[in-house]
Amino acid sequence: MVTSMLCIPAVAQLTAGSALPKLTLTSSAGQPVDLASFKGRVTLVDFWASWCAPCRVANKKLVKLHNKYKNQGFEIVGVSLDKEKAKWLSAIKKDKIDYVQVNDPGAFDAKSAIDFGVENMPASYLFDASGKLVAINPSEQQIINEINKAK
Amino acid sequence: MKTIYQLLLLTFAAFLPSATVYGQIQKAEIVATGLTCSMCSNAINKQLKSIDGVDKVDTDLNTNTFTVIFKPDNTITPATLKDSVEKAGFFIGSMVITLSLDQVMPKDNAAVEANGATLVFVDSKEKILNGQTRLKIQDKGYVTQKEYKKLQKSYSKYPTYSVENESDFHVKVI
Repeated sequence: MVTSMLCIPAVAQLTAGSALPKLTLTSSAGQPVDLASFKGRVTLVDFWASWCAPCRVANKKLVKLHNKYKNQGFEIVGVSLDKEKAKWLSAIKKDKIDYVQVNDPGAFDAKSAIDFGVENMPASYLFDASGKLVAINPSEQQIINEINKAK
Repeated sequence: MKTIYQLLLLTFAAFLPSATVYGQIQKAEIVATGLTCSMCSNAINKQLKSIDGVDKVDTDLNTNTFTVIFKPDNTITPATLKDSVEKAGFFIGSMVITLSLDQVMPKDNAAVEANGATLVFVDSKEKILNGQTRLKIQDKGYVTQKEYKKLQKSYSKYPTYSVENESDFHVKVI
């Protein structure tokens, strides 16, 4: 009883230095993806939803950034908080996203959103090659610097 | 004995506000506006949920509407909701409240009391209201600036409208 109570996590918002959480979600290809498996590469975890207009604008930039740096050890994981899977999938197509996409259907109440402390969208979290959080909502330059550091 | 009874009745009647009709607000539908996407922030949702007397908040992504369901016997007024939305950094674009009414005629300037606030009917069809009724608040701060400018002109026939009293709400039956 005591142990089970202790297991209830407190508000677990990520801060600088936090490790890539072990969190498995289903990808657009229907495969389970564990965020922790991205350790070893500079990874940007991006929270978005198909109905979030500013997120869709950001997607275009992320697609370009990913295309430019994907061969240099850089990964993006898009976490969609869409409740409607079909809308999520059609947004991926429309925005021509080819990086890993997973879905956590629950908007701001989704477990991943709560764990990361997402209060606004888009929200992105940059992890260095050792899997530690280095910046929340990083600029493009910050991301590029991190990629260069890891080389 | 009969006279005493009648006297008592009369005394009670004298203390009752003669024509006041009461209603309890059960629900509010809010569209928030601002510089950023209101649905892309969890702030409004959180603020609304923290109000004493709020049962739950639903969001409709197609209409950008927050639907706030109230608990019975709540004392939430439209002003409480407006304050919460503004605390979250947004403004009210529109607010529609739902309350149950019993044989109320929404004549111009007729009023009902709800949750301690006064609702004044404006711009509504003169058709008796019975049961669940949706009322759109037309006051400054509850409609867009542009809409308010228009209403200011067309509502000049309602003497209380331009007073902008914060506990009076001008409502249109929808």
